[in-house]
Amino acid sequence: MATLALTNTERFLINQEGQDFSHEAKTFIKIRELAIKNLKKLEFPTPKLEAWKYTNLREVAKQEFRPQSAINLVGSRLKSYLIPNLDAYILVFVNGFFVPELSEVKEDKDGDFIVTNLNKAKSKFIKLVEPHLGFLTRDKDQFFGNLNAAFSQDGAFVYVKSGKQLDKPVHVINLVDGDLVVAYPRNLIVAENNAEANVIVSYETLETKSALSNAVNEAFVAEGAHITIDKIQNENSNTFHIGGDFAQQDKNSTFTLNTIPVNGKLIRNNVTVDIDGEGSTANLFGAVCLNGDVHVDNQTLVNHSKPNCDSNELYKCVVNDNSSSIFNGKIYVNKIAQKTNAFQSNANILLSDDAKAFSKPQLEIYADDVKCSHGCTIGQFDDEALFYLRTRGIKESTAKKVLLDAFIGEVLDNLKIDTVRAHVEALIARNFISKK
Amino acid sequence: MLKIKDLKAEINGKEILKGLNFEVKSGEVHAIMGPNGSGKSTLASVLSGREEYEVTGGEVEFSGKDLLDLSPEDRAGEGVFLAFQYPVEIPGVSNINFIKTAVNEVREYKGLPVLETKEFVTLLKEKQKLVGLSGKLANRSVNEGFSGGEKKRNEIFQMAMLNPKLGILDETDSGLDIDALRVVATGVNELKSEDNAFVVITHYQRLLDYIVPDFVHVLYDGKIVKSGTKELALELEEKGYDWIIEEYKK
Repeated sequence: MATLALTNTERFLINQEGQDFSHEAKTFIKIRELAIKNLKKLEFPTPKLEAWKYTNLREVAKQEFRPQSAINLVGSRLKSYLIPNLDAYILVFVNGFFVPELSEVKEDKDGDFIVTNLNKAKSKFIKLVEPHLGFLTRDKDQFFGNLNAAFSQDGAFVYVKSGKQLDKPVHVINLVDGDLVVAYPRNLIVAENNAEANVIVSYETLETKSALSNAVNEAFVAEGAHITIDKIQNENSNTFHIGGDFAQQDKNSTFTLNTIPVNGKLIRNNVTVDIDGEGSTANLFGAVCLNGDVHVDNQTLVNHSKPNCDSNELYKCVVNDNSSSIFNGKIYVNKIAQKTNAFQSNANILLSDDAKAFSKPQLEIYADDVKCSHGCTIGQFDDEALFYLRTRGIKESTAKKVLLDAFIGEVLDNLKIDTVRAHVEALIARNFISKK
Repeated sequence: MLKIKDLKAEINGKEILKGLNFEVKSGEVHAIMGPNGSGKSTLASVLSGREEYEVTGGEVEFSGKDLLDLSPEDRAGEGVFLAFQYPVEIPGVSNINFIKTAVNEVREYKGLPVLETKEFVTLLKEKQKLVGLSGKLANRSVNEGFSGGEKKRNEIFQMAMLNPKLGILDETDSGLDIDALRVVATGVNELKSEDNAFVVITHYQRLLDYIVPDFVHVLYDGKIVKSGTKELALELEEKGYDWIIEEYKK
């Protein structure tokens, strides 16, 4: 007798049913339908796939994660998730749902910029959302990009008009609460020609015994525009985070993504930047400092589609205890993308015998007049430097901290908002110390 | 202050110091000279606590304590300072933060309160002036991109900031032009007092024109084979080391 077992994908999708998106405009429902169609054809990722070689989602597939609407969150609890002294528009989402009473939305009276939640924007600013939403996550092969596109409830919408900028940065706080919950926060950031936007996105946990964050950030950087996203991932040790960051750049634009995974059970980031206009620069920076059993997998893809563009990529990792860090970075240079300058570097320091670092830098170049470099190092402390510091009376523990701060500081120098940097430094410093 | 008795040390199983005896008292300046490979730098490394060197015999007493028992940082806390022959470049660590951390950790070791910023800045300016270290170097990463002379000045500057009881200068003169040499020597001479002492390790007599030693020792084959006063250095300059080696081999 044959048994009809459900595949992991089917089982996962069944658990996501029951959400009602019928109030949305047809154009947005179409995005969801297409994503579901894609998902049905996709296998739930396993290490058999090259892109998932070092990250096993067996536990994610096994658990019955379901969306859950927001549980009460009071302002006093929010405080611990704020970045000290940061003056920003705060948007709060719990389990992917907007919490308006703890958020500050703003529609600038001159129409220079809009900071609101995506659901609101989908009805009120449909003309601004429609040309962008889902545009970058249409890749039919990305399981989790499609998953978010299909089931995302809400997220931040940040829009800046041509030649304008935000009067202060936006801080999007995503919280997860409840057991076996899956959250699909999705942010859309649009900077029109010569506009500028700084957005900090942090992921944190209220309380959960097991959760999945499937987050997406979509950024559209028009001609001459600048978008910077500082992404801080600090969920609890029961939370899986599978995120996707997507950017598309027009001429002479700059996109910068600072990725800072701090805590979680398993974190996977898929970063895709399409440099689609001449004279543009993409900056991808990662500071990965881990202890305990945290597993972080950063996958980046920079598509150089047009000539005369630069990309700078620097991921530095410090792994302690049993933690592991994976870096898989690909630079793709189209045959018309002459005069590309693409730089990629991944450096790792192992602080314990059981910590692991994997690095796979890749270049795929079809143009013949380019400057591309990539490199990776995996090592321990510089013993000479350590000894030198100690001979000056600096304790071994302090000396190590000084060297780690210097190592990771090269990445953190790209956090341009001082209060954000100070916050990140404090979070990271804890991870230099063993949890054992 | 420093008493070394029958010190033996090896690296990778090869014995370098073969029973070295040596004593330094407060207020003294000693020069240790000798041909290449005699063990001069090994002595500096062993005294500062470099882990690659294994001490296989003898003892080193510093201000009544067993120096060999202490970690490199505790030796610094006790007042031992080594000016490196090859100062290490540390990218990303600013020179000023480095020296501030060092000064305060040494103070903590001695049970002294942390220096207030104002006091620190006063001390910093005074000592920078002493060794002619430009303020610009203070904000750069430790030794990164420094010229040979700047690196050595930075060593003397650190020594001035930490004010050790015993300063060991390991071939500080190597790679220095005469002006840099003079600045380094002036720094040392300014720091010299009745309460501290210096051991100047050098291959050439040149530095000793500026830092005048009370005693000169010749290190050969892991031992001190001849000691004398500053005149010995001049004799070595004139006659080389061969005559001493011959004398020793007899």
